[in-house]
Amino acid sequence: MASTDKPDVENVAAPAPEKGAAAPEVPPRSSLTVVEVVLRVLLFVTTLTAVVVMVTSKQTEWVPVPVPPFRRLNSARWTDSPALVYFVAALSVAGLYSIISTLFSISALSKPGNWKFLVSHFVLLDVLLLGIIASAAGAAGAVAYVGLKGNSHSGWVKICTIYDTYCAHVASSVGVAMVAAFVLVLLILLSVFALIKKSLK
Amino acid sequence: METEQVNRVMGDEEKERARGVGKKRKVRYTGLFIRLVALLLSLAAAIILGLDKQSKVVPITLVSTLPPIKVPVTAKYHYLSAFTYFVVANAVASSYGAVVLILTVANRGSKAGKLAKAIIILDLIMVAVLASANGAAAAVGYLGHEGNKHVRWNKVCNIFGRFCNLVIVAVGVSLLGSLSYIFLIVLAVLSVHKKH
Repeated sequence: MASTDKPDVENVAAPAPEKGAAAPEVPPRSSLTVVEVVLRVLLFVTTLTAVVVMVTSKQTEWVPVPVPPFRRLNSARWTDSPALVYFVAALSVAGLYSIISTLFSISALSKPGNWKFLVSHFVLLDVLLLGIIASAAGAAGAVAYVGLKGNSHSGWVKICTIYDTYCAHVASSVGVAMVAAFVLVLLILLSVFALIKKSLK
Repeated sequence: METEQVNRVMGDEEKERARGVGKKRKVRYTGLFIRLVALLLSLAAAIILGLDKQSKVVPITLVSTLPPIKVPVTAKYHYLSAFTYFVVANAVASSYGAVVLILTVANRGSKAGKLAKAIIILDLIMVAVLASANGAAAAVGYLGHEGNKHVRWNKVCNIFGRFCNLVIVAVGVSLLGSLSYIFLIVLAVLSVHKKH
């Protein structure tokens, strides 16, 4: 009698927080959710690093000018180029989004019943964000490449010979943003394959 | 009477199943259609920028007392690395789309397991590559349009007007192409989501 009672109690206790929705197969999901939380935290760390490195890229140097005294102090900032402004804005949005989605993933860890709803909605936003981060990295990378190599056809001189640490900051920031995009790809694949696996059951 | 009811239930079940199959087929056809659109858009973007070329004779005054020297100048996509990247990325995306289209049509009957997963991974990579190519081409196009006075990069679009307009068209078309790749992934996720 007692042995039949016990699972009954568990059965009643388990679906209660999920409002009887579905999914008694909760345990295998939690390890995936832990990986997801780790990846989302990694996404936050990489986007924050990219933004901080880009914003702290200011460099002041003496540049030659054609009028006497033939040189003056000039600073290069990230606000000088619209592409870099777009980069900072896009990665800040990505950082904010990663905070919110991490919180939701943690809540899914404590209440596994919400998992499917959360995943299928977040994966769409993840794909959109991947597009935004990739385009921001592309824009900043293209402008940085012109700064590094110059372009003789359009008469754009290279500036990285003067502003060397500025260019180093921009380049490393773009590199970190690419890592963020890679983390986002992993996150999306994790969610999509988990959804496919679940639908095949 | 009971058998009638059973018959009706059977009929309902069959209808339900048929509806399910029909829905699946509908999703598959929608996917194929969007893939075709994505292929055509990225192909169009690659061709527009790849064939974009403008030559002009620009008068340049070296010394103010002498008459200006006329210099012929040309704008082509491969003069800027960002535009080269854009053309290559769009060409890769369109040929990838063609290969996947052929594979899905060839494997129409069979159950697609590993192939579908590989296609999702590659679709994601295409979204990232196309988006970065769009960002790069748009950033350099903007630079050509507005110039940058902080580093004294002059605008070039006042000389190469038609070239710049075609760059804008190509970036717009490619943007629609990358959006259709995003839509393909959304469709895959939704079809998995709705299945049960």
